[in-house]
Amino acid sequence: MTLPVRRFCALLLIVALVPASANDRLLLATAANFKPAMEELAAAFRAQHPDVSIEPVYASTGKLAAQIRKGAPFDLFFAADMQTPQELVQEGLAAAPVRVYARGRLVIWRAAGDAASLALADLADPRFTRIAIANPRHAPYGARAVEALTAAGVWTLVQPRLVYGENIGQTAQFVHSGNAQVGIIALSQAREPELAQRGSYALIDDALHAPLDQGYVVMRRAADRPAAARFTALLATVAARRIIERHGYTVPPAALE
Amino acid sequence: MFSEADWIALRLTLQLAAIVTLLLLVLATPLAWWLARTRSWWSRPVAALVALPLVLPPTVLGFYLLVALGPEGPLGRITEALGLGLLPFTFPGLVVASLIYSLPFVVQPLRAAFEGIDEATLEEAAALGAGALDRFFSVVLPLSRHGIAAGGVLGFVHTIGEFGVVLMIGGSIPGETRVVSVQIYDHVEAFDYAQAHGLSALLLALSFGALLLLYTLNPRLRSV
Amino acid sequence: MDGIRARLIQVRPGFTLDVALTLPGRGVSALFGPSGSGKTSCLRALAGLDRLPTASVWVNGACWQDSDADVFVPVERRRIGYVSQQAVLFPHLGVRANLDYGWRRRGRPQSVRLDDIVALLGIGHLLERRPDTLSGGERQRVAIARALLADPQLLLMDEPLSALDAARKEEVLPYLEGLHATLAIPAIYVSHAFDEVARLADHLVVLEHGRVRAAGPLPEVAARLDIAGGFGDAAAVVFDARVEAHDAADHLTRLRFAGGTLDVPLRREPVGATLRCRVHARDVSLTTQPPQATSILNVIAAVVVERLDLPGGAQCLVRVDAGGTPLLARITARSWRQLGLEPGRAVWAQVKAAALLG
Repeated sequence: MTLPVRRFCALLLIVALVPASANDRLLLATAANFKPAMEELAAAFRAQHPDVSIEPVYASTGKLAAQIRKGAPFDLFFAADMQTPQELVQEGLAAAPVRVYARGRLVIWRAAGDAASLALADLADPRFTRIAIANPRHAPYGARAVEALTAAGVWTLVQPRLVYGENIGQTAQFVHSGNAQVGIIALSQAREPELAQRGSYALIDDALHAPLDQGYVVMRRAADRPAAARFTALLATVAARRIIERHGYTVPPAALE
Repeated sequence: MFSEADWIALRLTLQLAAIVTLLLLVLATPLAWWLARTRSWWSRPVAALVALPLVLPPTVLGFYLLVALGPEGPLGRITEALGLGLLPFTFPGLVVASLIYSLPFVVQPLRAAFEGIDEATLEEAAALGAGALDRFFSVVLPLSRHGIAAGGVLGFVHTIGEFGVVLMIGGSIPGETRVVSVQIYDHVEAFDYAQAHGLSALLLALSFGALLLLYTLNPRLRSV
Repeated sequence: MDGIRARLIQVRPGFTLDVALTLPGRGVSALFGPSGSGKTSCLRALAGLDRLPTASVWVNGACWQDSDADVFVPVERRRIGYVSQQAVLFPHLGVRANLDYGWRRRGRPQSVRLDDIVALLGIGHLLERRPDTLSGGERQRVAIARALLADPQLLLMDEPLSALDAARKEEVLPYLEGLHATLAIPAIYVSHAFDEVARLADHLVVLEHGRVRAAGPLPEVAARLDIAGGFGDAAAVVFDARVEAHDAADHLTRLRFAGGTLDVPLRREPVGATLRCRVHARDVSLTTQPPQATSILNVIAAVVVERLDLPGGAQCLVRVDAGGTPLLARITARSWRQLGLEPGRAVWAQVKAAALLG
């Protein structure tokens, strides 16, 4: 064979092989805020099932949903809310039901050591000139923060001093850099080593807002994949629950079936 | 078609662009002049520094500005010491960020125009009794008006389209730092595509119109 | 103290400028020399466009530069008029605004008459035009007018005609000659064309390789053989003559000068007027006997002074003295030999043509 022909054949071979390996891989679309927990869960899964290859992919819930709608080949979708996966089910892209895999908590976070004593009502104090929350329009934690502030009766006082992060990551960064004196972020974030070393937090009463339930669904294309079933089975174990709780979530009893 | 929030964002954007453009024309002029005429070795690193925002991702710029202008950053400490408070999340903070971000777009056309001025013309003016400042205003500026127009329009249009930097240090405060580009982003994130289309089309028309005007008035523009 | 005194020193790789200039406070002084001889460097240093590290410039008693005392008057504060080779008009201004530029900055001196200068340079019809619509000659005249309107105390001209073609040069030269006649301020004129210098200058400084080779009144310096030898075809003598009589019938005018008389085509100048004459060496031939039956009108008795061989070997330049006025003749080396010429020999100089300068 001449050189160009040989090269072409080699290329074909490589192309032919790649899908073969991708077929064995489980792709998990995961909301970015769940990353630390998911990394641990994935490691645990790999330890137990070395023959299965799993690949979590992290992005914001909205972006992942948009990709899924455009045909992205995810097998499981771990969203940061319940509504998005429910929409996918209604659109026929995923199988019912949507199950809660974690429930988040809101915290007040300061980059100083004194947040533990703070309550939402304290945010009305004018010494907090900038209060960071996630953009309520498209970040679930932001919307819940607004609910909590309203329920605590300080919304009108606090609202002029709010700055909005595009997501809870950026929200945390605003406070971390000191530009906002205080912020409302996720407990899971506050537990991260980077934030934990530098600041302190106070749990916000979860009765003040709708639950921050994060749900997952099995995509249609993964309906017959045993690997998918094995991963969801892992989620129900006690060990998995401990991992999730350690990262700042709770696992509602309904999830443990 | 546009909501109240959209109009506020638009007004904010135009205000930001106008203020930044005017300030940049004033600041960039001596800088561009020095770069055009100096023979000092320093002109090279300075020129590279000025051009940096052209190649840096805006988010990098915004991120560093956020840290530097924050309460523990070097610039933040200065602004606080001067009684100016902290710049992130404020309109003046956006102005500062935009000045840095749009600087090369104003400096480059100005510099090109200044470089095109013959030394002999300036010597002639001096021989006729014009001092340095006089020469600048009576000879350099009139002969550079195309470059100045280009710098102004480009600075304006560029600032209107600014997103990454604003996103990082703006805080998306309605009426203060939520400019049109961020507003569009929010619409998209919230799946309000119709709103996003509307605002985007408006920005597109605005920017295109400004550039068309520029190229119509400056048919021989070569610097951009 | 009147006049211009300057000491200019500049060392560059491959070229050293080292000149001392003493120029009169009136009239046109020419800096003459080939390209690269340093003429433009001198002019720019006198103007203050270049600041030489070691230099002193005194103009009419005022110190414009003294490097020892760290004194340097910037160009915009020296009241000069500067005309460069390329007429640099401001492209964004019309002709009138160009003319006004210096005038306004010198305090709108009322002593300067716009109309007079416009008439002198013949640019009245150009006032409403824009620079890019003017020809080279027109632009140069506007540039000169603009320089004059700035009420300078010293006019500096850097080869103002060298960028023009022959026709344009001829167009502008008369204006420069007219300028020379009416200028009350000193002017320094840089050129590598001896023709221009001969027509315009009173004082001549010859530069070579950054040094002064000769300096003095034009008639004296031009007649020096060692200098004239370098002028090629343009070698000439310059002297003043007085109008003695007119002959209307033959359309001739008789001029008298120290060496005798010259008959030239009829002139309008009245009897008694002084005219400057230029006689090219190429227009002068020598004979050892008083010529008879020749068509050449002007035959001047003179004595051979010295001779210079010209490059090429065929010709030589001979300097003769006609009653105190030097004349140059270009003859063949063979003729010199065959006529048995030598210094001190009495000859007759036949002058075929004389140009009269304003």
